[in-house]
Amino acid sequence: MITRDIRNFVLIILFPCFIFGHKINIFATVEGNKIFTQSYASDGRKIKGGIIEVYDKSGNKLLSGVTDSLGEFSFVIPKKDDLKIVIIGGMGHRAETIVPAEDLPEIVSPKMERAQTSQNKESSKSPSRADIDTVVIRRLIEDAIDRRLHPVIKIIAEQKKEQIRFTDVVGGIGYIFGIVGICAYFMGKKRNA
Amino acid sequence: MHIAEGVLSAPVLIGGATITVAGTAIGLKKIEYQDMPKIAVLSSAFFVASLIHIPVGPTSAHLILNGLCGIILGWASFPALLLGLFLQAILFQFGGLTALGVNTATMATSAVFCFLFFKGLAKSQNKLLNFISGFLSGFAGVFIAGLLVALSLSLSGEVFIPVAKMIVIVHIPVMVIEGILTGFVVLFLKRVKPELLN
Repeated sequence: MITRDIRNFVLIILFPCFIFGHKINIFATVEGNKIFTQSYASDGRKIKGGIIEVYDKSGNKLLSGVTDSLGEFSFVIPKKDDLKIVIIGGMGHRAETIVPAEDLPEIVSPKMERAQTSQNKESSKSPSRADIDTVVIRRLIEDAIDRRLHPVIKIIAEQKKEQIRFTDVVGGIGYIFGIVGICAYFMGKKRNA
Repeated sequence: MHIAEGVLSAPVLIGGATITVAGTAIGLKKIEYQDMPKIAVLSSAFFVASLIHIPVGPTSAHLILNGLCGIILGWASFPALLLGLFLQAILFQFGGLTALGVNTATMATSAVFCFLFFKGLAKSQNKLLNFISGFLSGFAGVFIAGLLVALSLSLSGEVFIPVAKMIVIVHIPVMVIEGILTGFVVLFLKRVKPELLN
């Protein structure tokens, strides 16, 4: 009887189709003053039109948006805080990731920056070209690095995709047979008693 | 079809868990010693079936096999699917652990429904009727589970009709494939192991 059961079972699992996972993931990286996110289902499909929501540590919603056709969404960092980024894929699919505050750069709004530089100008009477230049140069370098790193970050995100491992599948089946077997053992003991 | 962590509201989670506990208790009561191997086999089949994906437009849907479990196991579908879903949740993160109750309730309730409504046809001696019983179980198993998922989502804030439509449309290929598959499995079992269906 059991060999036939096993045969039936093999018939069922050999039904040829695609073996993928079914769950969604979100991957977020800080790039300059922006956060870049990529979302995909664990079968590798990009999540188009998924709703992204960003919350701060105390659970206030800071912003929301929709992923593009590549499953990507970027936003300017709204606040230096532990940011919780949630993707809602519809039909009960949801995933979240947290970008800790220490990964975020100090947020300097352009206005403040200008104020700072003008203050510098006033305080030091000598022309402070050097100060302005350092700010500008730092910006340029950061931009260039971000642009260069963007593809690398994308590759890392691709590789982070979780795959269903065959060992887990076999292990799961083993668990089921083990647990049912233990139950059967106790039921059999009771029956014999 | 698996609902993730943090999607549903607490009352829905508790409601689902209650249904699962009640269904599992009934299922465990009805299990006979000789049912154990088929529970193990169908629970594993269910566990693996969710890894088999069918691409549907922008998304993909997977086989569920709850109709098949229902028609063979009856009320024992509750413990069988609970075990399968629990392992899917911890090994693959399919569906949240807190949503385990709701996920089991949606899939096992429709399995029991198939058992109550289509088992009679499977017992008949007519091959066509046997196939139809299998087809209807496979089809309705997914269909009703889809409606129940939509219901639990709608109780947590989404609007029922569009969500239900979306879930049902995405799962139409799955329903058809599962219907055909379950139909053939019933025919096959009827030929080689008819006592499994009695």
